[in-house]
Amino acid sequence: MIKRSFFSLNQPRLTYDLLEPDLKEPESIPVQGSLTLLLPETIDSNRQALIKKGDVVKKGERLKLYDGSTAYTVSPVAGTIKLLDTYSDDFGNTATFIIVKPDQTAGSDTVKLEPVEDIGFADEFLRNLPGAPPFEILANTDLKINTIVITCADTDLLSCTSQYVGIKYADEVKEGAQILKKLTNALKLCITIPESLDTQVSFDSIQVLKTSNVYPSTLPAMVMKDHLNLVLPAGQKPENVGVCFIRAEALVSLARAYKTKEAGFEKILTIVGKNDTSHLVKATIGTPLSKILSKLSIHLNDQDRIIIGGPMRGFATYTPHHPITSDMDTVIVQDRDIIPQLSDYPCVNCGKCIQICPANVPVNMLVRYLEADQYEEAADRFDLESCIECGLCAYVCTAKIPLFQYIRLGKHELLTLRADV
Amino acid sequence: MNNNKLTVSHAPFWHDGDSLFQMNLNIILALLPATIFGIIQFGAVALGVVALSISTAMLWELVMNLISKKPLTIGDLDSAVIGMIFGIMLPATAPWWLVVVGTFVAVIIGKMIFGGIGSNPFNPALIGMAFLMLSWKMMFDFDAAYLNYEFGFTALAPLAALKFQGASEIAGLFPLGDLIMGKQIGAIGSTFGLGIILGGIYLILKGYIRWEISVSFIAGIVVTALCFNMANPETYGGPIIHLFTGYTLLGAFFLATENSSSPVNKIPMFIYGFSAGLMIILMRNIGIYADGTVLAILLLNLINPLVDSIRPKALGKGVNNA
Repeated sequence: MIKRSFFSLNQPRLTYDLLEPDLKEPESIPVQGSLTLLLPETIDSNRQALIKKGDVVKKGERLKLYDGSTAYTVSPVAGTIKLLDTYSDDFGNTATFIIVKPDQTAGSDTVKLEPVEDIGFADEFLRNLPGAPPFEILANTDLKINTIVITCADTDLLSCTSQYVGIKYADEVKEGAQILKKLTNALKLCITIPESLDTQVSFDSIQVLKTSNVYPSTLPAMVMKDHLNLVLPAGQKPENVGVCFIRAEALVSLARAYKTKEAGFEKILTIVGKNDTSHLVKATIGTPLSKILSKLSIHLNDQDRIIIGGPMRGFATYTPHHPITSDMDTVIVQDRDIIPQLSDYPCVNCGKCIQICPANVPVNMLVRYLEADQYEEAADRFDLESCIECGLCAYVCTAKIPLFQYIRLGKHELLTLRADV
Repeated sequence: MNNNKLTVSHAPFWHDGDSLFQMNLNIILALLPATIFGIIQFGAVALGVVALSISTAMLWELVMNLISKKPLTIGDLDSAVIGMIFGIMLPATAPWWLVVVGTFVAVIIGKMIFGGIGSNPFNPALIGMAFLMLSWKMMFDFDAAYLNYEFGFTALAPLAALKFQGASEIAGLFPLGDLIMGKQIGAIGSTFGLGIILGGIYLILKGYIRWEISVSFIAGIVVTALCFNMANPETYGGPIIHLFTGYTLLGAFFLATENSSSPVNKIPMFIYGFSAGLMIILMRNIGIYADGTVLAILLLNLINPLVDSIRPKALGKGVNNA
C-alpha cells in the first residue's frame, strides 16, 4: 500500500505498475474439479429453463437460461451441470451461477464456430471470449461507435495483464483489430500504451496514445479528455459519444477464434499475494479463485480480503470460490492486518479531495448531500454524475469517509429514482 | 481450501494512512515552539493556563459526548487543538475561571452544538475568544496583565501603543529583531514570531493547512498596512509591526486556516485570506479594537460558504454536443 509521504505539499502520486521487460510465460493453472460460470440473467422460477441440473454440456456449448434470452455463457469444458443457482453482487444485482463438473464421458468433441464477418455473429457467439469484448455495445446500431480504443495500459494499479497481452501478442492484437474493423464501421482505431513502457512493438495503422504513468490517466474519461479531445458529458458512458473501449486481450482472443474456429477460454490474470508478490497466471474461465490461490500457495485467513479488479476500483468478494470471469484482470489478496479502517466521522472540510479530484467534483459538499440521501440535489448542484469513479477522494480522505462508496451508491439510487419517475 | 470468512468492503482498498488524530497531533506539534517559548518567557503561570485550557476543552467535549449519548470523540484531539490555540491566545496571568469559561464557550457553543467536528461555521477557539473579549475587556489589556513582570525589553503591548500613541511616537521602540525573537509582550503563544512561522511552514509542508490561505492572509496584511502607512505615516504603522505583533501570525497559520470554517477551492482561498488580512488592518486602524484579528476572522468565516461556491466547472458539466 502506498502511504502518504512525510512532506505532502504536492498531492500523492499513485503510479501504474509497469511490465517487467523479460515477458516470462504466465504460470498455467490446469482445470481441476468443477468450474463455475456466471450468467448475467436472473432465474425466473415461473419459466421452464433450457438447462437444468444433470444436463451434459459440450466444450464450447452456449448455455442460455430461457428461449429468447440474449444473455448466455459458454462452457469451457465438456461435463455435466451440477448446480444452478442465484448469485448476487455487492449492489444486489442478481445473476445465475452454473457449476459444471468436467466429465470425460461427455465426449471430447468441441463445438466448432463458423465465423462470418458480421457483428451479429460475434455478439451471438463470442461475448464470453477472454477479455470480455463489448460486442453488445458494438452491435447496437443506435450507438454509432466511430472510435475504438484498445486498452493496452491497465486501468487500475498493480495490474500488468493488459500490458503483457498487448506487448507479447502484438501481432494477434493487430489481426484482431483488422477483424474488428471489418465487423464494425469504426473509422478510428487507437491503442493506449503507458508512455514509460520501453517497447519496440509497432502497431501499424493503429494510432498509439501514450498514457501518463500517474493514476488515473488510463480511465476511459481521462483518455478521452487527454487524447481524443472529447469531454465525456456528465452521467454519460463513452459509448454514448461514439467511443468504445476494448481490452487488448479481447482482440487476441478474437483473432484466435477466427483462426482456429474455436472459442478460447484461457484468461491471463495478475494475482497479487499478501507480501505484494505479483504472479502472472493463465487459467480457464470458471476456475474458482481458491484453486489458483492454493496453487500459488497464498494462504487465506479469516477476515482477509480478496479484491477483484484492482485496489482503487475493484470489488471485494465474499467467497474464495468466486470464479475467474472473462473480464477479470487482477486479483489481490490483502492480509487482514493491513486493511485500512473506515470511520463514520463527518467531513471536516480539509480539502484534500478537492485538490486531488481529476474531475473537479466538489466532494466535500457532495458527501454532505449524499449522507442525507439528497441524490437529486447532489446531482444538480454538486456534480454527482461528473465523477469518473477513480476512488482517489476516498484514498486521501483524512476523516476516512467511504466517499467512493457514497458516490457509487448515490449514482445507483439516482438511476433508481429516475427510473421510478 | 476451507470456507474462510472474508472481509467484504468497497473500493478503494487502499488509504494513504492519514487520520484526524495525525492531523491534530501535527498541529499541536507545530504550536509547540511558540508555546514553549511563551512558557519560558512568562513562567509557570503560562504553563498553567495552557494546560488548564487543553484539559478543560477536552473535558467539555467529553461531557457533551456523555450528555448527548454520542460516541466519545476526544480521541481525535480536535478539542485539544482548540484548547491549545485558545490557551496560547490568553495572557499568562489569565485567572482560572476565565480559561474554563472560555473553553466552555469555544468547545460547546463554538463546536459541539453545531454537531461536532467539521460542522462548526466559525473557528471554535475564536468564538470563545470573542466571548471573553467582549465580556471581560480589561483581561486582555496586556500592559496591565504583565505589570509585575520585569522584562529586558520594551514592556508595552505594541498594538495598543500603536493605536493610542500613533506610529511616529513608537518609532524605534519595537525593532524587527525583537518582535521576531519574541521580545514583546502579548499572549502566551503570540509573541515568538519565528516559532509561529516555523510551525506554520511545517504544517504547510505536511499538507495539513492550505498555503493559499496563509500566503494571501499575509499579503492582505502587508498590502493594506502599506497603503495606510503611505497615506499617513504619522498615525498608521507599517506592515512589519502589524505582521509581527498581536495575533496576526497565529491568525495566518492557525486561526484562519481552521478546516471547517475556511474555503477549499483555489480562488475562494485567496479571496478569503486576503480579505481577512485587509479586515484586520481596517479594524486596527479605523475600528475601536487594538487587535481586530479575532473578530475579523470570525467575520470572514461568515462569508466562507458564499465565496467557496466559486469553483471550477466539473468534468462534463454543460457539455451537450461532445
